[in-house]
Amino acid sequence: MRRSAVALAVLLLLAAPARAAEKLTVMLDWFVNPDHGPLIVAREKGFFAAEGLEVDLVAPADPNDPPKLVAAGRADIAVSYQPQLHLQVAEGLPLVRIGTLVATPLNSLVVLASGPITSIEDLDGRKVGFSVGGFEDALLGAMLERYGLSLDRITLVNVNFSLSPSLISGQVDAVIGAFRNFELNQMDLVGAPGRAFYPEEEGVPAYDELIYVARADRLDDPRLRAFLTAVEKATLWLVNHPEEAWNIFKGTAAELDDELNARAWRDTLPRFALRPAALDVGRYRRFATFLEERGLIDNPPPVETYAVDLFAR
Amino acid sequence: MGVRPLITALGLLVCWQLLVWATGAPPYILPGPLAVGRVLLARGDLLLEHALVTATEILLGILIGSLVGAASAILLTAWAPARRWLMPLLVVSQALPVFALAPLLVLWLGYGMASKIAMAVLIIYFPVTAAFFDGLRRTDPGWLELARVMNARPLAVLWRIRLPAALPALGSGLRVAASVAPIGAVVGEWVGSSAGLGYLMLHANARMQVDLVFAALFLLALMALALYFAVDRAARRLVPWQRETLPET
Amino acid sequence: MAHEPPPGISVSVPRLVFGGTLLFADLSCRFAAGAWTCLLGPSGVGKTTLLRLIAGLVEGGRVEADDGRPLAGRIALMAQQDLLLPWLNVLDNSLLGHRLRGEGAGGRAKRERRARELLARLGLGHRLSALPAELSGGMRQRVALARTLLEERPVVLMDEPFSALDAISRHRLQDMAAGLLDRHTVLLVTHSPLEALRLGHRILVMGGQPVTLREIAAPPGPPPRPLGDPALLALEAELLEELAASDARMEEAWASAP
Repeated sequence: MRRSAVALAVLLLLAAPARAAEKLTVMLDWFVNPDHGPLIVAREKGFFAAEGLEVDLVAPADPNDPPKLVAAGRADIAVSYQPQLHLQVAEGLPLVRIGTLVATPLNSLVVLASGPITSIEDLDGRKVGFSVGGFEDALLGAMLERYGLSLDRITLVNVNFSLSPSLISGQVDAVIGAFRNFELNQMDLVGAPGRAFYPEEEGVPAYDELIYVARADRLDDPRLRAFLTAVEKATLWLVNHPEEAWNIFKGTAAELDDELNARAWRDTLPRFALRPAALDVGRYRRFATFLEERGLIDNPPPVETYAVDLFAR
Repeated sequence: MGVRPLITALGLLVCWQLLVWATGAPPYILPGPLAVGRVLLARGDLLLEHALVTATEILLGILIGSLVGAASAILLTAWAPARRWLMPLLVVSQALPVFALAPLLVLWLGYGMASKIAMAVLIIYFPVTAAFFDGLRRTDPGWLELARVMNARPLAVLWRIRLPAALPALGSGLRVAASVAPIGAVVGEWVGSSAGLGYLMLHANARMQVDLVFAALFLLALMALALYFAVDRAARRLVPWQRETLPET
Repeated sequence: MAHEPPPGISVSVPRLVFGGTLLFADLSCRFAAGAWTCLLGPSGVGKTTLLRLIAGLVEGGRVEADDGRPLAGRIALMAQQDLLLPWLNVLDNSLLGHRLRGEGAGGRAKRERRARELLARLGLGHRLSALPAELSGGMRQRVALARTLLEERPVVLMDEPFSALDAISRHRLQDMAAGLLDRHTVLLVTHSPLEALRLGHRILVMGGQPVTLREIAAPPGPPPRPLGDPALLALEAELLEELAASDARMEEAWASAP
């Protein structure tokens, strides 16, 4: 009897890792929105805590800051964009993709459904609004060329973040940079529905819209793997319990509970990376080649220098 | 002018480079003056092209804003109802943060130069009007009484006494305008444009070309300085009868 | 040189309070037509206020010309400050009234010629294009005098116009003004008994609170009277004493004021 009690006590001591939770700073790409579903669920459902992590989700003032902050060592992980990563790496930022949040493109070319443009050819001689992201001309150029047009046949206008208003008010005939899960719903809700053309259907190689990046010399940090494990669990849970996950999401802040977010949530669900840590090397290679062909980068380095699967190392 | 400003400039450049070395900041956070100098030479034509756009917006903004501001001040002086109705508008124009108005202006006036010029005009309207109006209503009462006894025509009092007496005040307002007008133009470009130094900074920032961002910033600072000195000189020419009582250097 | 007979002026003020003090109470006075009346008194007694009342700059009394027509538009005022506009040169400053009234181009050549002549007589012929900032106090006061004379108004009100000048300039200008304003109704406010005695056809001494006016006999002979005259000097001594006493009474009154 006493021997079994001692054995049980020893077992319990060994089994309980009384580790204090480790802090981790994750910079988001924008204000909290349905794209961040897995992260919110991971925090609220305790998946981060189970991995011994205390994660701080920070929304940036300037969307261009997060990768810079991670590269400078001021944040641990940033939510960023695959196309931007290629450009950042070309400019010498020591960043590496460690996981994927949204595994499809979200960027689309949007026109008013009630407008005169029914196909990309109709864009000839028209105005296209964009948010400065650095590579919209590459996307647009590829899509136009498929239809015998080129960038000098259209006028590019920087509308910054007013994508929907500028389109609805008629200031521009089309916008590029609108997220199909967000802007389309936004336009629907104000009674001016849009029609979308998807880059991956119009000659642009498919890419991951939202990824996680970390500093190149921190890849052996065990917190990164713990982070991805938690995110994977959260994503699977989210897929299994979509309604409950939505309730959790909207419950975290009053401003998140609105019709737009509800619709965006529904449209984003099928796009979350179900295997966040896994890497599709071919996808990254193809997109790098695409950017090289469009003249945005020269001599892309091997993919493994800026995109890894942490669990395969 | 002399050597002293050049020494100051050189000193600032040296401090900048020292800061970069001391903090070990990577080039995508804080490029050093050498890196920026290199990009100024390499992408000079691109920078110049955008600089001309911004310069045009600023100059037109100052011109229109000063004229509208001066006219407003004269209207406020000459017509009592204007003081009742225009004054609150004037104060509000100052209270509204320009950043908040920018998207609206761009929506109404489009993405071309018009909205940027309008931004610059808005940002200088209050300083110019307030300064000039202040000068106009503080005319020496002795002159006004003399004019009264002389049976002066009211318009002549405004035009020949109040206005010239208020020109120094207008000059002060114009100096302030010269220093803030560039802000209006650049903020306008940030919110919606396809050309100009503000736009170039946005684009370069998105592409992580931070040295280009700094080069554009440097040119902007240069333009703002040149503008200030030009306006200062012009403002002094406005008032040739006044002597400076403080030595220049 | 006015082209109409200068009127006499009568003033009656039932009550005037200025700066918290009761300056005038049941004050009435007459200023003879075509003559110089000098107003003497200590500081603060109300000389300038009375002048401004007549000029129409202060409300509170009845001011009438004895020819029945309104006084407005027939007065030229020369204040204590020269009030020259700093951006106009000497010539333009002297012609200020005409500019402000928008008098037409017709007659401008004649006016300008008259201005040049007058300014030359006042010793400024060589400084016509100078700005006020380049002139001494005395010269600026001469420009102001020219401006006043060029108004060609029958009534001229002057408030210590020569006080900023040195003795020699003052003497010369007194003579010139007396000569040029010979047939005008002139009211000259001064604190210098000598000036009053030299220039006045009538001399009124203001004193007390509220003000009382006391006329003293002017010396014989037409103004400007020569300085060396012993009668003049004796009167000057008397007046100085009286003014000093009046001044002391005023200070007492202020010191004990609630």
